[in-house]
Amino acid sequence: MSVEEKIIDIIVEKLGVSREQVKPEASFIDDLGADSLDLVELVMAMEEAFGMEISDEEAEKLRTVKDVIDYVKSRTGEA
Amino acid sequence: MTEEQQTKKWPCEIPSLKIGQFEAPVPIIQGGMGVGISLAGLASAVARAGGIGVISAALIGIFEGEAVFFKDPKAANIRALKKQIALAKSKAPGGIIGVNIMVALTDFEPLCVAAFEAEADIIFAGAGLPMSLPGLRPEGKNHSRLVPIVSSGRAATLIAKRWLTKYGYLLDGVVVEGPKAGGHLGFSHDKIEAEESQLENITREVIEAMKPFEDKAGRKIPVIPAGGIYTGRDIYFYINKLGCAGVQMATRFVATYECDAALPFKEAYIKATQEDITIIKSPVGLPGRAIKGKFIKAVEEGKKSPYKCIYHCLKTCDYRKAPYCIAAALINAQRGRLDAGFVFAGSNAYRIDKIVSVQELIDELMTEYCEALKEDEERS
Repeated sequence: MSVEEKIIDIIVEKLGVSREQVKPEASFIDDLGADSLDLVELVMAMEEAFGMEISDEEAEKLRTVKDVIDYVKSRTGEA
Repeated sequence: MTEEQQTKKWPCEIPSLKIGQFEAPVPIIQGGMGVGISLAGLASAVARAGGIGVISAALIGIFEGEAVFFKDPKAANIRALKKQIALAKSKAPGGIIGVNIMVALTDFEPLCVAAFEAEADIIFAGAGLPMSLPGLRPEGKNHSRLVPIVSSGRAATLIAKRWLTKYGYLLDGVVVEGPKAGGHLGFSHDKIEAEESQLENITREVIEAMKPFEDKAGRKIPVIPAGGIYTGRDIYFYINKLGCAGVQMATRFVATYECDAALPFKEAYIKATQEDITIIKSPVGLPGRAIKGKFIKAVEEGKKSPYKCIYHCLKTCDYRKAPYCIAAALINAQRGRLDAGFVFAGSNAYRIDKIVSVQELIDELMTEYCEALKEDEERS
């Protein structure tokens, strides 16, 4: 499974949204109905899935699906 | 324990509240109230009476004097917090003194470090998720116990999980604040009245959420409800019927001689009717419960205009969009200038009709607790 697919899986599971909704430009709060707790949960799930630590400052910048995909790819070295 | 506490006799045995190495003979935490409503004066009085006294850290540096504060607000806040902790401890030997530091404060992190260094007994952190709190502890400063304030089982689980996996730290307790509390509320506007948000329900939720952590660690995590708890009967209900370790109360401590606010602030509680207690939209981005006065009415009528930000106190405040400065408004109210500020209050503030001493209040609450216990025993 690619990094992208894995991330989308996590978003679908954590936010209870459909795969179609998880477009790259979708904003977690505005488009996917996430609240502040959802965002924390999401970040923790990413950390667990990819074995990395995401600082609070970095986490604050992750607003859209694409933000997360780009961030994880840059960290895992998969450009 | 002070002599005062040892000689105090209520009609029944009162369960103590244990948080880490601390044991309060009165199972009441006085909730932190900012700006400057609970400082060393109130906190030490509560601690002397056997409860847990809590100093609010929000903009605490302003009480060092404005000239000093504006020269370097962050340094003033840190200095003042340490000073107030030391003062409260000296005024309540053997008592338990905590601090309340809002996560939304721009200087949350340095204030936590200061509280660790000053050996606050307990650090309470809410108004946001204090995910990084255990990591802020300076090397060797192991005195302070850590208690987050949450409004759902989900938040409690997230914090507990994070603290455990990242820092190997099991939280020392958790305060559950419901929608009937005063000040900023951890609920969106439309959820305040919802059945699932009510304190009894979210308290059960948090107790349930803590179970797996308790089982794994082999020790209890004290769950402490807050928000609308008013009488000793309420305390009895939460401790004896729901299995809570204690309660947190704030509103009632405002109407005490020892409360650090100016007299007009306390009188606003006495004068308020049920209709006066209202939900406002705070510049912080959360709803807040307050007593409706001149200032709030002017805001509602759109008479307050945007201001310049001089405090930079909150991470979440967009001062360009805010209709007024909440820091200035709360400082004015604390000083008794109610025309230029407003008073935060819990939903039951209108029931208060006089100012008493902290000891009188605790006596009243514990006596009511014992009455409720007795009635319950007679029934069964």
